[in-house]
This record gives sequence, C-alpha cells and structure tokens, in this order.
Amino acid sequence: MARVVVLGAGVSGHTAALYLKKRLGKRHEVVVVSPNSNYNWIPSNIWVGVGKMTTADVVFPLAPIYRKRGITFIQAKATTLWPEGDADAGVGSAKKTQSAGAKASKGVTGELGLPVPAVDVEHTSAERAGEVERLRYDYLVNATGPMLNFGATPGLGPDNGFTASVCTPAHATAASAELKELIAQLEAGETKRVVIGVGHGTCTCEGAAFEYAFNVEHQLREAGVRERAEVIYLTNENELGDFGVGGMQFEQNGFRTTSQLWTESLFRERGVKAITGAAVTTVEKGVIHYDQLDGTHNDLEYDFAMLLPPFKGAAWTAYSAKGEDITSTVFAPSGFLKVDADYTGRPFEEWTAKDWPRTYQNPTYGNVFAVGIAFAPPHQISRPRATPDGLAVAPSPPRTGMPSGTMGKVVAHSIADMILKGATAPTHSASMAEMAAACVASAGHGIRTGTAAAMTMSPVVPDWERYPETGRNLKETFGEIGLAGHWVKRMLHTLFMYKAKVKPGWRMIPE
Amino acid sequence: MDTTNERIATAPLPTPKELRRRRNPVIQFGRFVRINWTMWRLARRKH
Repeated sequence: MARVVVLGAGVSGHTAALYLKKRLGKRHEVVVVSPNSNYNWIPSNIWVGVGKMTTADVVFPLAPIYRKRGITFIQAKATTLWPEGDADAGVGSAKKTQSAGAKASKGVTGELGLPVPAVDVEHTSAERAGEVERLRYDYLVNATGPMLNFGATPGLGPDNGFTASVCTPAHATAASAELKELIAQLEAGETKRVVIGVGHGTCTCEGAAFEYAFNVEHQLREAGVRERAEVIYLTNENELGDFGVGGMQFEQNGFRTTSQLWTESLFRERGVKAITGAAVTTVEKGVIHYDQLDGTHNDLEYDFAMLLPPFKGAAWTAYSAKGEDITSTVFAPSGFLKVDADYTGRPFEEWTAKDWPRTYQNPTYGNVFAVGIAFAPPHQISRPRATPDGLAVAPSPPRTGMPSGTMGKVVAHSIADMILKGATAPTHSASMAEMAAACVASAGHGIRTGTAAAMTMSPVVPDWERYPETGRNLKETFGEIGLAGHWVKRMLHTLFMYKAKVKPGWRMIPE
Repeated sequence: MDTTNERIATAPLPTPKELRRRRNPVIQFGRFVRINWTMWRLARRKH
C-alpha cells in the first residue's frame, strides 16, 4: 500500500487528489493537507469583491467531499520536508503518526530498506491548532499555491496596510464593503479616485486586477456615479494587454492585431486610465508611491485602492536524513519547488520553450512533484525590466486556472502509473510551452449587461522556434469582447464548482 | 503614464453598431456557442 500526500487543495492540488484516488482506489491512500477547511473557486472572488456574489457562492467545505471519496483530509500547513527520511535526524518536538502506508517512528525504513520520507505539518483547525504532525509519504505533490506576500511592499494589503485585496473570500468581502461606502460617498456628490492594480514590480495575476478594475467601473456605472469617479489601472506590465504572458496577437476581420491595441480600445471605451511599467514601493493611507521604468518616482493619491500582492512559495524548509538544511536544493530562492525545468540563468533573448518543465518532478527526489503556482518557473514569460535604480519591473508568469488543473491531472496519472505499473519515470507530461489556455476576463457582471474578454492562447509560453512570427498558433489564439464572454465566465463558475464537488460526470468537464 | 494614456486616447473606439452587436442576445448566443466550442476543442486537443 502506497501513500500519496497532496499539499494544498486549490485547483491543482484538488484535481491531483481526485484523479489519484480515482486511479489508485482503496488499495492506496491519498492524503490531502490544506490549511483551509474550504475549497475556493478563486476566479470568482472578483465578483465577491463587487458584491455580485457572496463567500458562500465561491467556497464549499472540503472534508465531506474527501470523506465521500475515501481521501484523508488534514487541515494543516506544511512546515518541514524530509525527502530522504529522518533516520539520523533529531525529530524535535514533532509528534509522529503511524499510517498504514508508511510506518512512522524515528529511523523508519520502507520496503526497500530506505528511510521513508516525511513532511511535517502544523494543524490549523480550531480543535488541533498548533499541533505538529509528521506524515510519512511514498509520493508527495506540492500544490501549496502562493503565499500572499503583502509584506514585500510596506503598507500593502488589508491586514497590516491600507489597500484592499480580492485574493481570498474574506478579503473580497471586505473590499466589497469598502466599495459600497465609496459609492455612498459618490452618491452624496463627492468625487473620488479609484486605483486598482498590482502592488509590487514582480506581481503576477494582472488579469485578476484587470477584471476587478473593470467590474468596479461597471458597478460605478450601474450605481449612476461613474462620472464622479476617476478609475486608474496601475500595473507592472510594460504595456496593456501583456497579462504576464508577453501579450498576444490575434487575427480579426482580416487583420492581425495585438492584445495591447485590443485592451487599449477597451480602456478608451470605458474611460479607464492606466499607469504601466510601475513598481509600487510603499503605500501610505491615501497615497501610493511607485517608481516607473523611466526612473521617475511618483505619488498617487487614492480614495479606494485594490492592489494585488506578489506571490512567494510557502515558508518551509527541507532537511536531509542527517539533518542538514537542503532547502536550496529542493526549492528555488522564491520558495517555489524546483522541477524538471532548465534553471540555467540566461538573457531573455536566449530563453526557449524547452526551458519549461514537462513532468513537474523534482530532479533530486523523484517521488516529489510540484504543480500550479507551487512549481518554480525557469523564468518569466514577459521580458523582465528594471528601473534605472535597479528596481525589478518584471511580471511573474501566471500558472493558475486551466494550466494548473492540467498539471495536477498529469502528475496524478504519472504517480498512479509509478505505483500501479511500476513505471520508473513520469509517464505523462504537460508543458506550458505546449498546452493551450483559455482565459475569460470579466469586465462587468450581469445577465444582460455583463461583458468579458474571452481569450485563448496556444501555447501559454510562446514557442518562437515552432511559431517564428508570433510565438503562438494563430489558429488557436483568439480574443473577443462581449456579453457572450460574461455568460461563458458565469457558466464556468457553475461548471467548475460542480466538478470540484465531484458530482456525477465530473471528469467530463475538462480542466 | 502619459505614453500609455496617449495610446489609449488614440485606440480604436468600437462603433455604435459594434457595441450593439456585443450586447445583442441573439448574436451573443451564437458567440457563446462558438467560444465554448473553441475552448472545449482546445482543452481536449492540447491537454
């Protein structure tokens, strides 16, 4: 009996766990460790942030779903990794547990006489908060997602700073309440400035900030106060429409156009201003300080601001069997786990599609995988830039949504083949330089009044050798704006919540 | 900031006809089917 531990229950972790259990059945154990008791369909958080949905619409409890599927669920966060086992290492105060799949005492060895690897987790449920447990594993899938690094920019974030966020349902609910207050002030005749964007030069998920900016604009229009509000989109993208993927080119009406022109057109239509190539340095109450690529230092006053934080890997360490710190062997400096990517430092001009990982297997420890945001990308997709002072203005590559679910699925199949068929190497692959992605960026909610930009790109990471002109397959890369896009995004919300709840036919819905 | 906003100011503005097309439920239903079909096909072929 093998035990697979999946850390994280977001899109990639949840997908991996479900496919693993489906393949492995009752003979093997699948354990999911997540610090949150609920699943959150994050793409819809922007609608919670404008009051069009509630927290209850975007979350559901994980425990009953996993219980029904025969998956063990532990509400905890990972703190320490022992990929070689801990045969000769002190175990401190960590409590050890015994599993059917992997015995758990000091110096535990597996069937081959090798130490059984382990991961230490700290419980976060109300009943067991703070309790540390050592979980043995045969295979580990790291799908811990991002740590929201609000601390990277002083004054950023809703907890210890002055800006709103839509990263979690709680943040989005607070943002919605703040927006409601702002609308009341606008209705009273005041004029206000709204700033929405990213709060650091290395942020990712510009698409989410873009969506929230246009949903707020839509909300202000619905409330009849749009003319009294100035809406500004503040981004680290060098140009609009970059979205952290270097922009796109589409063929439309006989012309080849760019996502930049397409996005600028939407900004003009909706009267939204933009500040690009910006790295926010600090935030004070009512003022955002940011530098731009031309070297200018700027101050921007605001009445309502939602700025996304940069991401970093979960804060945990790795030790060898002898207790030596091997964190830098397993993890990149960003805290994300190293996989089968080419991490050789090279200039932008020498980056290739082949640099991107295919199997998400750690090169040192073959039974450790990382999917979704948790894997360390080899480099950005957009060209990284810096201010004359050396401040990075470099959008990080997005690894969410559709690609993230696909990674979870292929890793699950690879591990299942290794356990069931004795495969010595991963049998499935899904490089971001080969897979396509669909992105539906909401620009307003409403069954008759909503709008969204529906886009597909193939591949996500441009492959300039295969597609020398634009880096992508023009037949599979398109974009269009309209009410239909909103219907698609709303339908995807329902479909993916249905799929995540593992209702009948869930596997028919693609990642 | 100025360069970006200058570009926005000169970006192509959709015509009233195009804006009506984007909101017309009948036309948009057709687009809805088309977008879903394209995404479904991509997901099946590329994943």
